[in-house]
Amino acid sequence: MILCPYCGSENIKGEDECADCGQPLDDSHLTPPTSDVERSLLSDRIGLLVPKRPITVAPTTPVGDVLRLLVERRIGCVVVVEGSRPVGIFSERDALRKINTQVAELAARPVSEFMTPNPQTLVADAKIAFAVQRMDLGGYRHLPIVGERGELVGIISARDILRHLTDEMARG
Amino acid sequence: MRLGETDVSFQLNLNTETVDHCYPAEPLCLAPADSVAEALRRMKENNRGSVLVCKDQIVIGVFTERDALKMMADGASFDAPLERFMTPDPVVLRACDLVGKAIAMMAQGGYRRLPIVDDRGRPTGIITLEGIMHYLAEHFPAAIYNLPPEPHHSMQEREGA
Repeated sequence: MILCPYCGSENIKGEDECADCGQPLDDSHLTPPTSDVERSLLSDRIGLLVPKRPITVAPTTPVGDVLRLLVERRIGCVVVVEGSRPVGIFSERDALRKINTQVAELAARPVSEFMTPNPQTLVADAKIAFAVQRMDLGGYRHLPIVGERGELVGIISARDILRHLTDEMARG
Repeated sequence: MRLGETDVSFQLNLNTETVDHCYPAEPLCLAPADSVAEALRRMKENNRGSVLVCKDQIVIGVFTERDALKMMADGASFDAPLERFMTPDPVVLRACDLVGKAIAMMAQGGYRRLPIVDDRGRPTGIITLEGIMHYLAEHFPAAIYNLPPEPHHSMQEREGA
C-alpha cells in the first residue's frame, strides 16, 4: 500500500496516480515552497488543525429543530448522519437558500429534504492544501473528516485553515 | 492563472498583495428601511451571504445569513426593517489593506466577510471567506493542479456548506 501524498488515500503499490483524487502519487516534482506559509500548506496535514467534534443530527430531524441547534450551539453547520456515516451537511447557507422566509411552513419537514447530500469528506492524513482546494472547488466552508471505515470523526472549517495560516504568518 | 503571469504568481504574497486580489464581490446594498424579507429574497436571488445596509451611499450596517438564521429560528417577523436586525458599524477594509490582514481578521474576529470601503465610507466590494479560499487555491504551485476535471464554479454560483 502507498498513501497518496495529497489526500491520504491508500493506493496499490506501483500505481502512478491516486485512485481517489487523481493526483500523482509521487510529489517530488512539486515546486519547492518559497515561504513558511506555503510550506505549511503543502506539507501539514489536516490532523494538525485538531478537527472539532461535529454536531450531528439524524436525517429525520425536523429542520426547525436544526435551525435552533445552529443558533444555540453557535455553529455554521451540522452533519447529517446515518449511524456513523455522514450523508449530508446542513449549513446556514442551506437555510438561506432553501428555507428563507418559509420557515413557518417548512419547520416540521425533515432536514434530509434541505441538506446538501453526499458531502465531500477527507481523512485526517490529507494535506491542508488539498482541503483548501476541495473547499474552493465546491464552495464549501466545512469538510467532515472520516476514519478508515468512512465513519465521521471530526469536522474542519475554512476558518480553522485561516487560523493555522495566521499562526504560520506570525511565526514567519 | 491569468495570461502573461510568470511562476512568481504562484507564491503566496500574503504580506505584499492587497485584498482586491481576493476576488471581492460586488456590494449588494439595501436601505435601512427595507424589510428583512426583501433582504432575504435578494440574498437568495444573488446567492449571497449578506447585504450591506447603506444610507446616503455610506455603509451603516451589515445583515448576514447568521442574522437571518437567528430570525428563522426565533420565528421573528420578516416584515421588520433591516436597521432593527443589522449589525451596525461593521468592521471594514480599505482596498490597500493586505491579504494577510484580511485573513487574520477572519481567523481571529470570526468575520466571514469584510466590506471594502473608499475614503468616504462608500462600499466598493466585499471580501468573503470563499474569495480568500479561492485566492489561496489559485496561488499554490502549478503542479498541485492535477485534480480530476470537475465542473468549474464561478464565485456567484457556489453553494456554501
